[in-house]
Amino acid sequence: MNVAAPTLLQLEQVTKSFPGVRALADVDFDLRPGEVHALVGENGAGKSTLINIISGVLQPDSGCCRLEGQVCQWNDPVAARKTGIVTVHQEADFFPTLSVAENIALLHGLPTRKFGFVNWSAMQKTAQKVIGAVGEPIGAGVPADRLSVAHRHMLQIAATVLQSAKVVVLDEPTSALTSVEAAWLFQQVARLKADGVGVIYISHRQEEVFALSDRITVLRDGRKIWTRDRKDVDGKLLVQAMVGRDLEDSSSDRQRRPDSSAGDPERGHTVRRLEVRDLNDVKGRFQGINFCVGAGEIVGVYGLIGAGRTEMARGIFGLEPLASGSVLVDDEAIEIRRPQDAVRAGIAYLPEDRLREGLCRGLSIRANTVLPTLDRWTQLFRSSPQTEFSSASRLPHQEPWIKRWSLGLLASRRVEQQVTRQVVQQLEVRQRTMEQSISQLSGGNQQKVVLGRWLLAAPKVMILDEPTRGVDIGAKSEIHRILRQIADRGCAILMISSDLPEIQQYSDRIMVLRSGNISDQWPATEVTATQIAEAALPIEKACDQTPAARKKTTSWTSRGAGEWSLAAVIVVLSIWLSLTSVNFFSWANFGNLLAETALWSILGLAAATVIIAGGIDISIGSLLALAAACGGLLLKLPMAPQISIPLAILASLLVGLGGGLLNGFVSLVGRVHPIVVTLGMMIVYRGMVIALVSGRQINSVPQAFGWISIHPESGFRGAIVLGLLVSATLYVVHAHRRAGRHLYALGSSPSAARLVGVSQAKTWLFAFGLGGLLTGVAAVMVLSASMQMQSQLAKGWELQAIAVAVIGGVSITGGRGTVLGVVLGAVLLRLVNLALVRWEIRGEQVDVFIGGLILTAVLLDLFWKRRRT
Amino acid sequence: MKRKGFIKNIPVLLPWLLLLLAVGLVFSQVERPAALVNVGVQWARVGVLAIVMTAIILSGGIDLSVGSMIALSSVAMGLLWKAGWPAEVASGLAVLVGATIGAINGFLVVLGLSPLVATLATMAFYSGLALMLCGGEKITKLPDPAIDTSQIAGWPSEYWILAFVFAAAMLLVHGTRFGRWCYAIGDNPMAARFAAIPVRRTQWWLYTASGMVSGLLAVVYTVRKGAIPDAHRGIELEAIACVVVGGTLITGGRGGILKTLLGIVVIANIDIGLFFLSGRFKFIGADARLMVVGVLLIVVAVWNEWLARTDDRVETLNEAAERI
Repeated sequence: MNVAAPTLLQLEQVTKSFPGVRALADVDFDLRPGEVHALVGENGAGKSTLINIISGVLQPDSGCCRLEGQVCQWNDPVAARKTGIVTVHQEADFFPTLSVAENIALLHGLPTRKFGFVNWSAMQKTAQKVIGAVGEPIGAGVPADRLSVAHRHMLQIAATVLQSAKVVVLDEPTSALTSVEAAWLFQQVARLKADGVGVIYISHRQEEVFALSDRITVLRDGRKIWTRDRKDVDGKLLVQAMVGRDLEDSSSDRQRRPDSSAGDPERGHTVRRLEVRDLNDVKGRFQGINFCVGAGEIVGVYGLIGAGRTEMARGIFGLEPLASGSVLVDDEAIEIRRPQDAVRAGIAYLPEDRLREGLCRGLSIRANTVLPTLDRWTQLFRSSPQTEFSSASRLPHQEPWIKRWSLGLLASRRVEQQVTRQVVQQLEVRQRTMEQSISQLSGGNQQKVVLGRWLLAAPKVMILDEPTRGVDIGAKSEIHRILRQIADRGCAILMISSDLPEIQQYSDRIMVLRSGNISDQWPATEVTATQIAEAALPIEKACDQTPAARKKTTSWTSRGAGEWSLAAVIVVLSIWLSLTSVNFFSWANFGNLLAETALWSILGLAAATVIIAGGIDISIGSLLALAAACGGLLLKLPMAPQISIPLAILASLLVGLGGGLLNGFVSLVGRVHPIVVTLGMMIVYRGMVIALVSGRQINSVPQAFGWISIHPESGFRGAIVLGLLVSATLYVVHAHRRAGRHLYALGSSPSAARLVGVSQAKTWLFAFGLGGLLTGVAAVMVLSASMQMQSQLAKGWELQAIAVAVIGGVSITGGRGTVLGVVLGAVLLRLVNLALVRWEIRGEQVDVFIGGLILTAVLLDLFWKRRRT
Repeated sequence: MKRKGFIKNIPVLLPWLLLLLAVGLVFSQVERPAALVNVGVQWARVGVLAIVMTAIILSGGIDLSVGSMIALSSVAMGLLWKAGWPAEVASGLAVLVGATIGAINGFLVVLGLSPLVATLATMAFYSGLALMLCGGEKITKLPDPAIDTSQIAGWPSEYWILAFVFAAAMLLVHGTRFGRWCYAIGDNPMAARFAAIPVRRTQWWLYTASGMVSGLLAVVYTVRKGAIPDAHRGIELEAIACVVVGGTLITGGRGGILKTLLGIVVIANIDIGLFFLSGRFKFIGADARLMVVGVLLIVVAVWNEWLARTDDRVETLNEAAERI
């Protein structure tokens, strides 16, 4: 009889290799229902690969996966999710321009009602439930980019908990949270356990692993070392298994200065390297900051997220504007307005987000290392470069100032390589060659490069923001050892960390930030962990740190603001025009205006659809000409109008659709930016138009075709009806169909879209295809209005189409824009055209105003965006 | 996928070798090599713009307004010259105007506008302004200049400007920290800022330089042919095509000046070669040339993207050649 608990998830002998690297070799893993199974290992041990296989992002080369006894193969994340495996990744990808509610809904697929329309009310309900589970005042309609990292993460976790999953994978869930939020997280994990859900928990933080898990599995170099019950494991055993050797006892790892009382500059014993007086943030995120750091001191800064630690560090470094206060280095006040000022004064800053703020991922290790200090590594007049390492105790203030300044002109690759080699050796960065792309290094080694780059600047003050986040244990202790060495050479170090044990272990003095103020500071030996944690807690819970509540109301007013202001401008302009010209509102004039508006609405929507999805299409004009030419050619055929007209229309539409799809296809498969593809296609289509059209004219066109644009007797303009129909349809597609919402999702964040299961290929092709189809419709309208084929038809129209879209509020970066806005933009542009005709400004001189309008629209949009944040 | 050793560089060089071969073949058709000099002048102009465009694209930006900047500078110069001012003063004004409108572009980008939208808008604005200033009529029959700046030592000035701009760009982009900054900004502007690189200053200078160079080209053109605003339409797209075909990635952070030179040579030769061929074979008309260039652009762009993906070292042979 089987006494052991039934297995929920089982992986047998899973192997996965990448070119040159064996990520996983014959790994067995199993998960029981209602258990928390911790997965532990250094970076590069294979944890991410294993998780990616379980969540369907990767497929194993060999081995077997079983869920509840059934053999499973997940080809993509969506398939894995459907079988009940939900993964919360470390980098919480989200859609910045979409609302919180939609973000939550997209995690599990947009809900639909009858006939495939998006179910907005169900979405709202789910969102409220999730927000309620998080317990913070977050507005469901707020664009997600207004939320803090912690809140986004918590929402994702809460959404996962509420969904009935069988297996939940949490990848470093507390990396963006600190104590208070982490406590909430542990509650959620307990809930999952109680519900019988199997939880795979990955964390670098040992105390969490021991607090939460039932079983622990250790991976090293792609192999499973062991799986044990938590009660059979202690810290030393764990570290030993992870690293493969005995790391020194953590207590002996204490790189503390022997005489810590001497390190307190308040008592005037050592040189005051950095002093900060009465620092105040422009945006109020920190106030009245006063502290100093002495030479050789490591001050650990602790605090919750939102306490203002990173903002303060950035303020000192010149990345954020300061309202008031002064920064002194070596008792000399410094004016810091930009990072360059700080660096010149001897301050260095290692950013919190290594990937986004620290590294240039496409550049080499060498390029990344010498980046801030390029002025020193010149070839002229220097035989050997002076670095932090070659002249051990030399700090910049000891060098002749003039010599340092005047030689910053010519860069020298040879010298750069020399200094990079020194850095790599000293910091033991594991790499193959310094010309290799830095993205290939592990997190710990990347962090060492970032550290090394600042060491080359020989700083007097180093501010480190989460120096060991996402870094494995081996590299972590190496980094701290290096920091202690730097401090011993006279540098002052300010270390911001959310890892309380790290703060306690490696700091000489500890400072706690709470709600933008320094709440307390002590020498590290004289304070307990509890005291530190308490000092970080906000005093009144009612004191609402989250500006999200405040922003909830503003989002309502700003949502329609763009369209309202457009409408206002249009009304004003129309009134002015009708006053200054006699027959502005005659039926004929008005009809013409509306017909042209219809045409440009359609073209604007064609451009907008592609831009919203994150692309751009500058071949619209040429494609229109091509579609019109094909339609025109068919009209010439000796057939009855009843056949030739529909055929011509069909041809134009198909050419437009085909051209658009071709653009999308080439940029998708060739992985080339759409601007290059559509540039090439624009040239190709124009060539095809010339080939088709030259020397051919349309004679004897069936009369009925012209009725599409204007009925000769009644003046009825079919174009207007067509324009309305198309706009209405597009509105429905954009706002109420899943395919349309996916356009916004893809444009908002392609990486999040991939994780969530929005098919990039399908959505991209849909965007370009729809854009092309709309271009085809416009071609039909133009052909019927002009009854001509010209080789230069629609040249430059793509500019106007993009102008209509941009003026209508479509963001060029994607993910934002409305159909109504585009239509209003078209109206405005036609009115402006009318006004210009009145002023006798003809031809391409009109472009001045188009350019001016685009600039006004985007500048206003920028202005509003800046005001909101 | 890794390509090892010398074998690895063949895919990079192969297309260029093939293309140059084909073009060389075509050139055997040319009867009067001297005619090439004049035909190539317009491509020298494109080349100058392409080189400056390379630096801008490396930094993650783009400048669609170069054609309009030439037009506006040219019109300004033409108006002043026709009104009686000496040609030298008018030339100085053209360069000044170019630098100013380039600086406006730079200012817009520094403010935070997307370079695509900003230069798209200024492209329309400047060209419309040029047309308004000259009343839609081209300005020709200008008084003779004291010095004929359209020719230096028997060669059209455009070639000299090309040589000068090429040398300056090679030095700046590959030999100074300014160039290193461009690469970093193109790769990750936020990280560049955090590394204490003057991002905004660099970007501003790039666009201002673009404007200055446009002004310079406008001077030479106006001296030779007069201020014809329409003549410069589409030149920005030709310049971008040269940059892309040369192998610089449109997204920035990778590429180089030598690569663009290659791109200029390839496209210019193909276009000129086809032009000569069309004299021989009637079926090759303007449409065929357009289609060939368009297809070439896309094929090469796809090829370069594939190369960039399968190349695990940042430095390729071309980049090694650009070492100083």
